[in-house]
Formats: sequence, structure tokens, C-alpha cells
Amino acid sequence: MSTQQKMGGTGMLVTIAYRNIWRNLRRTMFCFAAVGIAVFFIIVYWSMIGGVQKGIRDLVQIFDLGHVRVVSEQYDADSEFMPVQYPVADGKNWKEMAEETKNIPGVRAVFPRIATRATLQESTIKHAVLWGLNVEDEIKENTFNMTDRNSGLVEGRYPARGTNECAVGRVFAENSGLKIGDRIPLKTVSAQFSDKMWSPEITGIFNFDYLKIDERFIIVDFERLQKLLVMGEGTQQLIVYADEEKLSKPIADELQKAFGEGSVVSEWRDNYWAAVMESITPIYTTVFMVFLIVASLLIINTVVMIIHERIKEIGMMGCLGMTRREIVTVFFFESLFLAAFGALIGVTIGGTLVGIGSNYPIRLGDLVGSTFSEMPLANAIFFNFNPMKLVYAWLLGVAVASIFTLIPSLKSAFVEPVEALRR
Amino acid sequence: MNKKFVSVMMVVMTAAFTSVNAQNKTPTAEELLAKVDNNEVYKTAEYDGELIIDHNNRKFVKTMKAWVRDNSDSFIEFLNPEDKGTKYLKKGGRLYVYSPDNEGVMLISGHMLKESMMGSDMSYEDAVNNETLASRYNAVVGGTEKWRERDAWVLDLSAKKKTESYPKRKLWIDKENGDLLHYELYALSGAKLKEYNLIKAEVINGKRFPVEVEMKDLLRKNSKTTMKMNNVILDKPIPDAVFSQRNLER
Repeated sequence: MSTQQKMGGTGMLVTIAYRNIWRNLRRTMFCFAAVGIAVFFIIVYWSMIGGVQKGIRDLVQIFDLGHVRVVSEQYDADSEFMPVQYPVADGKNWKEMAEETKNIPGVRAVFPRIATRATLQESTIKHAVLWGLNVEDEIKENTFNMTDRNSGLVEGRYPARGTNECAVGRVFAENSGLKIGDRIPLKTVSAQFSDKMWSPEITGIFNFDYLKIDERFIIVDFERLQKLLVMGEGTQQLIVYADEEKLSKPIADELQKAFGEGSVVSEWRDNYWAAVMESITPIYTTVFMVFLIVASLLIINTVVMIIHERIKEIGMMGCLGMTRREIVTVFFFESLFLAAFGALIGVTIGGTLVGIGSNYPIRLGDLVGSTFSEMPLANAIFFNFNPMKLVYAWLLGVAVASIFTLIPSLKSAFVEPVEALRR
Repeated sequence: MNKKFVSVMMVVMTAAFTSVNAQNKTPTAEELLAKVDNNEVYKTAEYDGELIIDHNNRKFVKTMKAWVRDNSDSFIEFLNPEDKGTKYLKKGGRLYVYSPDNEGVMLISGHMLKESMMGSDMSYEDAVNNETLASRYNAVVGGTEKWRERDAWVLDLSAKKKTESYPKRKLWIDKENGDLLHYELYALSGAKLKEYNLIKAEVINGKRFPVEVEMKDLLRKNSKTTMKMNNVILDKPIPDAVFSQRNLER
């Protein structure tokens, strides 16, 4: 103990508490382990859930809604059928709409997209989705591959502008037995409800590590699909990317005003799964609290046992003039140290694991197959490593354990010194 | 005089009674089905068609020229600007399509037959079947009903083969002229899939010919397809070259 510490001051009480935790090493280690394991699992699960949330957010933003998406009201109502009969703003030239949209502050890029169903003639895969993109421009903006964060092209090249070319997913190619140079005879329905027979040639094979796209989508040039479907200069969807994700809402509001009634402007948060994942935050926070409360029970038990064991010591402390507040402070800090060091161990191990793991994908898709095919879930997810979350997990561990051990600590205050010495 | 009057009256009454009796007499299911099949049999037909698709309060009109022979061969060429150049050939129970975007002929087969034809409420399968109803279905007379103020026989059909697209059908046949006024197509589960209504029939070359019909695919929301046939010419010889793949690609 430092000679500079004032006798009976908080510093001295803390020092006594710190020394006390080492008086029974085994019991202390058990307390560390309990809190540490709880905090460890909180960090791992938190990072994993964060990874899933980020994965869903990325998928929604890249493949579905961008930061903001504009479609017609009728398209929105029937979107599961991917109709092309209801273009944005009644078929207004998409380039004009894009230019107007770019004038809104915070808008980084605007892309037209068309997605429509196609029936394949000869393939073992009977149905697919024709996805019309300005591929070259979109690649500059988006990293389509969810694992390697690149364009996703594994063989050949993406379709050139205005050509009868296409790129198919790795899984699609494997399942259908098609390869580069083959044609895919297919039928789709135009904006005028006409049958359109088409046989685009495969020029590229991609792997986005997103089963839904890799298995079912045929990427074609936007302008070629626009012409095939007799859509004039219009587009089915207008996808907007903002400078920052947080600008999605104000941009969406601006666009809703600009496009008016008859158009539906959605931001990425409106996606069902993105909203679900956001809404479950209180649920998993509660689960984490339960982890900590269970771990805290061990500390509570330890503190109760300590008080029982040291009953004479408490009496002695009282006789020597320590106030009830000072005695409670000693026991409270003792449990606080147990929680703090335990949580620190959990944070260190968990943080290290998550930090390393965040560089390596977890091949969730290989484990669950197409079980969650309706959920926008990439084949690979990453731990979401966030130092602030480590600090938060540590604080959460310390706070919950401290609050729960306060009650048994208070018990020491009600021990009568004379009564205690008599035992 | 009285004797003569009584005789005339008896003849008139007998004739009237016979006529009423003939109309009310329940024909057999086979007779009714044969009548329906017979109405659809003609050597050749040529007409200018109009396909009107009403979908979600939007109307799409397609115009075409069609040639039909022996109920087995047909050739349709679409003429409206959006579909110009699209041609269909049905021959030997097979359906081929030429689309300018495809730069070639494509056979519509297998699972594709279930698809909607030109975005209408009819499927390719509906168009491609050549065989008569009598050869594909067992029929039972289900009684009489009024259909849009016309007296009609009701015929319940059940498929002879399990592979039939519509395992059950229900037909309303005009008692007076044998027109197929209305029919309903059902799935095996009993769910109604499609509805057909005769809007207008005309007598052409002594045969009643449906010149305006309506089809509703009940699996599509707010959808109806009306088919109008104008300038119908029946039983005029059509050259073989019309029903050829060469004509399709020309």
C-alpha cells in the first residue's frame, strides 16, 4: 500500500479489495472464467450477428434497393412477378431521370435496372431471371462478389453494350451444363405483353457468392434488354447510391417529392430482412444480458461466501472504526474487480478471435444450403470486428456484474461488529 | 269444316309438341360432345384476328393474320408494331415460333407449353391440342341451366388420361344451336383455373363460327383476353407452303 494513500480513503479501500481477490485464487479464477466466458460469447455472437446484418445490408444495397430505389406503384404491388409493363414515371427517359436525380445533394450514382422472368427452352433449369444492368458502370460502383469484394467475374467477360450476350452464375452454369460460347434459348414477356424469344450467347461466368443470384440470374446488357422488352427509353427500376449510407433517408424524401404519386421510393432500410435484422437488436441484447446475469450469479455466490467466511473480519473492521459505507465499498470493489478482470479476459480472447476471424469468411451457405434462400444471405459472412463493441461489451459485463453484486455487498453493512466477533 | 279445322289444329299441335319435346329431350353426353367437336371442325379457316389483353386496367391490342387447316395445322403472323415479325406455326402437334429478336425458329415444348401465349390468358398448351374432346374426356350430362339468358345443357367432363392439362371441364352448350357458350377448366383438386365465354357467333358457310370469345386465367389477377376474328373465310384451299418452317423464317 502506498504511504501516500490516506488511511481510510477510497484508494486504500480499493487496494484492500484488490488484495482480497487474490486470497482465494481458485475461487477468483472461477469468477474470472464465468464472466470471461459470458463476455467472450457476447463478443463472438455480437460480431457474428453484426456480420450477418452487414451482409444483408450489403446484399440489399448492391443487388436489390441500392441506397434508394424508385419504381412505379404498380410494379411495387406486383414486384414478386417482376413485371416490365410498369416502368418508372410511365416510361420517361431514364437518362433524364438520372440527371435530375444526380442534382440532389449527396447522390453519388444512379443506375437503371430491369429484372424479369424468363423461361428457358432446353436447359435443365427451367426458369431464370434476366437482369439488365449497365454492367461496366455498376462494377465501378459495386463489388458484386460478397467474399473477395471484386467484380465476381471468374471466366470470360461481362456482356458488351447492345449485344446478344450474357453472363451466368457459376452455380447456374454447373447445374445447366452450359459454358462460355453456348447460347441460352429463352422466352420472356415484353412490356407490351408480347412473347420474346431470345438466345443470348454466354460470354462470362460470375460468382458473387450469393446463391440466389449465382443460381438463377442471367446478366445481360441493360440497353439490349430494354430494347428486347420494348420499353422505349424507360426503365423498370432506378437505383440510387448516396455518398454516405445515412443520406439515404433525405435523398429518398427528395425523390418521393420529385417523382410524386404513382412512384414508390424505398430506401434500403425498407427491405423486409434488413428491417427484421434491425428490429431483433433488443432481442439479442436481452439474450446477452441473460448470459451476464448467469455469470453474475457466480460472483454473487462468491461475495455471499466471502462475507460469511470473513464475518469476524468484518466485525474487526467495524471495531477498528471502519464505517458501514467503507466496508460495503471494500466488498463492492472486490466484486467489481472480479467482474472487470473476468470481462477483460473475455474481451481479450473474444476480440482476438473476432479480429483474426474477420479476415476469413464463414461459409454459412455451405452449411445451410438453400434453407434460407428467401433471405438475402451471402454464402460467406464475416465477423464484424469493431473495437468500440469490445469496449461496450466490457462495460456491459462490468456494469451488469456490479449491479447484481451490489445487493450481497450491502449485506456486509448490516453485520453487527460485536455479533460478528462473537461467532 | 269443323273436321278440317280439327285436323289442322292437331297437325299444328303435334308439330309444336314434337318440337318442344325435341328441345327438352335430354341428349346423351356423347351426342352433345360430338356436337361441340363437330362445330369446331372445318377444312380450312382464314381470318384477321385481334387479341385484346386486359390486365390490371391496362389494355394491350395485338393484331394478326391466321390460317388454320384441318384443326391440326395453323399459322399466325402478328402484325401490330410491337410484335411485327413474330410468327407461330402449329404443325403435327408441335408449336414453333419465330421471333425477330431470336433470329431463328424455336420449338415450344415441355414446360414452356404451360406458359402464357403472347401475354394472354391462354397458354400454348391451350392452342396446341388437336384432339377432339370426345377422345380426351368422359362426359356426363349435368342437367340444364340458363347461361346469359340462353337455355343450355351442362356437361361435366373428366379426363381419360392423367396427363391431361385440365383433368376436369364443365361445358355449357346452347340447346338451340349447339354453340359452346361457356366452359370452365379445373385442376384435379377441383380449383377452377380458367373460364371461357362465347361473346358472339356467326353463321359462315352454313356453320356457326365463334367470332368473338373471351378467356380468363383465374390465376392472374384482373386479367381477361378477348379474341376477335374478322373477315373469316371457311373452307377455302390454303397452300401447303403456308404451314411450313420456311414460311416461318421468311
